Amino acid sequence: MSNIITIQALTKRYGQLTALDNLTLDVEEGAVVGFIGPNGAGKTTTMRILTTLLSPSSGEASVAGYSVTEEPQGVRGSIGYMPDFFGVYEDMKVWEYLDFFAACYNVQETVRHGMIGDLLDLVDLGHKRDEYVENLSRGMKQRLCLARTLTHDPKVLILDEPASGLDPRARIEMRELLRELKNMGKTIFFSSHILSEIADVCTHIAILEAGRLVAYGDMAEMKKQLRPHRLFIVRILGDTKVIQETLVETDKVLGIVPVQETDPESRTVRFEFTGDDREVSLLLATLVKKEVPIISFAQESNDLEDVFMHVTRGIVH
Amino acid sequence: MNFLRNPVAVKELRSRMRGGRAFAVLTIYLALMSGLVLIVYLAFSAASNNNFGPSSRQAGKAVFAAVLTIQVFLVIFIGPAFTSATISGEKDRQTYDLLRTTLLPARSLVIGKLISALAYVFLLIIVSIPLQSIAFLLGGITFTELFLSQVLIIISAISYALIGFYYSTVMRSTLAASVATFASALLLTMGGPFLAGILATLMGTFLFGSSMPSWSMQALLIYGGILLAATNLPATIIISEVFLLEEDTLFYWTNVIDGHTVFILSPWYLYAIFYALLGLILYWACVRQIKKVSTR
Repeated sequence: MSNIITIQALTKRYGQLTALDNLTLDVEEGAVVGFIGPNGAGKTTTMRILTTLLSPSSGEASVAGYSVTEEPQGVRGSIGYMPDFFGVYEDMKVWEYLDFFAACYNVQETVRHGMIGDLLDLVDLGHKRDEYVENLSRGMKQRLCLARTLTHDPKVLILDEPASGLDPRARIEMRELLRELKNMGKTIFFSSHILSEIADVCTHIAILEAGRLVAYGDMAEMKKQLRPHRLFIVRILGDTKVIQETLVETDKVLGIVPVQETDPESRTVRFEFTGDDREVSLLLATLVKKEVPIISFAQESNDLEDVFMHVTRGIVH
Repeated sequence: MNFLRNPVAVKELRSRMRGGRAFAVLTIYLALMSGLVLIVYLAFSAASNNNFGPSSRQAGKAVFAAVLTIQVFLVIFIGPAFTSATISGEKDRQTYDLLRTTLLPARSLVIGKLISALAYVFLLIIVSIPLQSIAFLLGGITFTELFLSQVLIIISAISYALIGFYYSTVMRSTLAASVATFASALLLTMGGPFLAGILATLMGTFLFGSSMPSWSMQALLIYGGILLAATNLPATIIISEVFLLEEDTLFYWTNVIDGHTVFILSPWYLYAIFYALLGLILYWACVRQIKKVSTR
């Protein structure tokens, strides 16, 4: 897969403040990149440069082969942008809103009617077609804005906090939409503060802190690098002495971390294991044979929070 | 260029004419205009009962002047009020970035916004034409006067609208843009006569004393006065009307000063050239400002 977004030594300074410091990263076509970082890390600055709204102090960036500084029209035709804070034209109907932006993207009039219907169905706003935009809820406006980014069928979607301010149901709906767009082959570059959302949808993550890229790569690879071995968590009733002794005797167990539970009746033991599934099964069978009172035995997956906390230092501009 | 294909123009016109608000404004405007015309007509009617009172031709002129005064007010103050919120309003509403990331060229954005702002102003002007036609019924108005006045109104409408538009692109807020627009409109309307008054006083008192200035100085003063008048719409209309009525000329008349022939130009086409150029410069500046990529 070729790179559809290339960023080379991108820097942005506001007087003494360096908002973006020598950012370099490439995004493959079809990837879904989660762009995370604390407030003031430079995420919005990066997105505004990529969408030709802001000029960089130095460095280069291109989208779909078009330079953001030299060929802005080419970039605009290739992207759909949804900013963090956006307004809508309150005195327009839903279909008029999409029709207007489709016209701004030079979509032929003959094509627009059907396209608008399809987009409204995609974002589940078909029943609101003739409604005024001002009557839509926050979540619906957000979905409408997402539909707006798709009117010209762009290759790349750049979304700044697309689920910002949404209630849990609306967040889930937004996440489903992003999955659908991913399946349609769109390259999505989006930022979020909700790590679980990013983990669910993204193929890659880029972590920014104080204007610098501190980590970037395939999500599975990054988790593996952070913790190369499998982590298991076992909850048992009563004392952990027997289970600890058994684990110590097992070759493939690297380390044991007993954890105090608030419930005095149950105990939790976490241990790192280097064996394969067959060996996990044998270990479990051994524990059961020794009548260890197991409540649950499961592998703990590395989550994005672990990755984030591991690579960032909590620096905020 | 098909203006109906300009998406900004279509959107703005649709919004502006939606609901009862636009028609209510139109109705109130016409009612007020009709009231004013009626008052002027009745005043002249009452005065014409006297043997030495005004003729119907004079009443026609008065009606025409009243309607024209309203039109001048519209293009100098109301049109720019619409345009001073065009771009700054988009920024306030946080819709400007959405527009700037589309393929809509900067010139299309400017033209679309202008069309929608001016369309409503021109609608108000057009609906007052039947009232203005009363002046024709009464007599005293020629087609030339009507044509000239409407040419000046159209050019002024576009230029003053562009003044508001320009401030809307460079100022951060709609309030700042509106204040700057009204200040500029006032300066162009009142500044010329104010300056002329000061200059006349100064020259009369300090430069010439009791002696008559030379013919060249007189000619210079006349040309200076005409040029100054040509920056001001009301002054241009009045002086051009005087040229038409007194000298029966549209473009220039000749005057002899101390045996020297001086060509005195009618200010209306100087005004048209000046404001057309100003309009073009402002249009270019607006497009350039919108095209600029922000550095902050």
